[in-house]
Amino acid sequence: MTRALAIATAFLLASVVAMGLYLHILRRNEREHAQNLQDARPISAPVAGPASHVTLYLAYDDPGAVRAQDATIALPADPAQRGREILHALLGEYVKRPSSHELPPGADVKDVFLVTGDTAVVDMTPVFAQGHRSGVFVETLTVASLVKTLTANLPGVTRVKILVDGKERETLAGHADLECFYDVVTVEQLVQQLQ
Amino acid sequence: MPWSELKGKFLVSRFLFPDRDGERKLPSRNAKPETRNSSGRTLVVAALLLILIASAPSAEEKQLSIYGPRVSYSLPLSEYNGQDYVALLEALEPFGNVSARTENQKWKLRFDNLEAEFRQNASQAKVAGRKFELSAPFVLENNRGLVPQRSLPAMLGLMLHTKTEYHEAARRLFLGGVATHFTTDLHETGLSVNFSAPVNPLISTEPGKLKMTFTRDPVVSNAYILRVENPLVSSIAFSENNGRAEVAVQGRAPLLAKFAAGGKTIDIVAAPREEQSTTPSVPPFAAPPVAQAPAAAPAYPTMQSLTAKPLFIVMLDAAHGGDDPGARLSETLEEKGVTLAFARRLRSELQSHGISAVMTRDADVAVPMEQRAAMADAARAAIFVSLHAASEGRGVRVYTAMINSANRKPGAFLPWGTAQAGYVLTSRALADIVKAELGKHEIPNTELPAPLKPLNNVAAAALAIEVSPSAADVGSVNAAVYQQRIAAAIAEAIVVGRPRVEAQR
Repeated sequence: MTRALAIATAFLLASVVAMGLYLHILRRNEREHAQNLQDARPISAPVAGPASHVTLYLAYDDPGAVRAQDATIALPADPAQRGREILHALLGEYVKRPSSHELPPGADVKDVFLVTGDTAVVDMTPVFAQGHRSGVFVETLTVASLVKTLTANLPGVTRVKILVDGKERETLAGHADLECFYDVVTVEQLVQQLQ
Repeated sequence: MPWSELKGKFLVSRFLFPDRDGERKLPSRNAKPETRNSSGRTLVVAALLLILIASAPSAEEKQLSIYGPRVSYSLPLSEYNGQDYVALLEALEPFGNVSARTENQKWKLRFDNLEAEFRQNASQAKVAGRKFELSAPFVLENNRGLVPQRSLPAMLGLMLHTKTEYHEAARRLFLGGVATHFTTDLHETGLSVNFSAPVNPLISTEPGKLKMTFTRDPVVSNAYILRVENPLVSSIAFSENNGRAEVAVQGRAPLLAKFAAGGKTIDIVAAPREEQSTTPSVPPFAAPPVAQAPAAAPAYPTMQSLTAKPLFIVMLDAAHGGDDPGARLSETLEEKGVTLAFARRLRSELQSHGISAVMTRDADVAVPMEQRAAMADAARAAIFVSLHAASEGRGVRVYTAMINSANRKPGAFLPWGTAQAGYVLTSRALADIVKAELGKHEIPNTELPAPLKPLNNVAAAALAIEVSPSAADVGSVNAAVYQQRIAAAIAEAIVVGRPRVEAQR
């Protein structure tokens, strides 16, 4: 075997190993992605607290509206945890079937953080964005419903930022901006038009 | 402060123009993030300058106009080896469902139930199972199939089963015997031009001359110049060139045009003397075809008018593209394809009104959202229209940015994340006009603010249009006639809203 042939053979073998490794990583990522889409496990343990009346702003695809609906849920004392439970109740309405505004099973809120008193940061599950239907209007309904429900039940919150799996994301499903902070006044104007 | 602002993305509102002392001033505190992207920005600006130069009236691009019984439109021509080529897919789009795919060197086209096959650099093609000889080799460019313009009439005739008449020198193609004839009627007070069908020409005047330019009307005539003895008019000339026809009336005094008989008659009379010195605030080469043409206006914008205000450009943003298909509207229909077809129709419609329209993409390619806004800002576009499609609902939804309005400080830097704040009132006013025009065309519509990317980053009047099906069948969203109706309404709204937009620039 000549030296050149040996080098070429070694190079080819290294390439085969590298490609195999790369294929393995791709398949693993694909598997994880598929698992994430089907992950309907609860995010957190149920909380204890007195039953409280809250107002959920539910989106309706047909006729394209956001409407207030009263609900009674158990709420803890901590405002951030209250926010999470309220959004959890809201999203529960969307993942059940039939729903006025369907979201994929597993779409849920991971956590809510209150920053500097007036800003809420909402962290959503990956499924919430990855499985969301694409379209300006359906994405607008989702954002309006989430932000309005949160700010209506957490007085003092004037801005809301939405993260997905702890990270900033450009859009929800190709349209709605998730890089900006949502201002309570502009969302209120939108919801009024949608009512 | 929003996170996007903290990223240090700043928009320089006078980016293309240095200050009076010749130096471009950068904000000291935020200079680093700007310089990091400076090379990319420079490339974008250079590319846009080329687009602007190409779209300027002095450097007119070649176009071919196609007139059908139900739809008329213009297509740009591309030159290869000294031959003019036209994109076949775009030529067929208004007439039915058309799709194409590339396999090896073959480009396979499907139009309704008809199939055609072309091969890169080959002059022979197969159309509906029959051999078809092209006048020059087929060109495949970025998966777009281009055929020689000389072969298009025969090909459309074969595919549409209709007779065609091609005015090759003028690049005007008439399908199905469509034609609008006209006669002239001279009288003491002027001249009446009577057409066989309603027309909507672009009218421009200059001292002693009035021109009617027909881009979307299949106006034809056998007489090319007619000298007359009349106290007001000395000659009437018909000409056709580069996809349009023109009727020029030479007068002995300043002339004025008035529409009558539902657009079938145009009366040309003497302009009142006091109007002779009026200078229109809007360049007349892009003036809307209103009932009365501006009197004694220059036919083309003067240098003074060009330097006083930037060109009036509408940036059309066909959303999605490339590996981002957008919403899946049906098993076979993706949002990216619908938005591109609609953007092309709207571009033609705007151009027929004399308005320059530039697209953020004109092929199935991915363009980052921020780049779309950057293109509009760098080109100093007057209006940005983002085009979307949906399977839910009926008609058209018109969106504006969901942002609080703010006052604009002339020459100040604009934060990238809230660049739209100073323009959102104009955007909403324009959206109102679009809504009204859609109503006039009996197209169901709603108007809403929406948190849509990248409207907040656009430093111009910015709208988004979401087209939904006209009927229960989702496929109707891609129907040529339906899209054409919507495009016509939006173009008319932009013509109506132009003075308002110009006033705010």
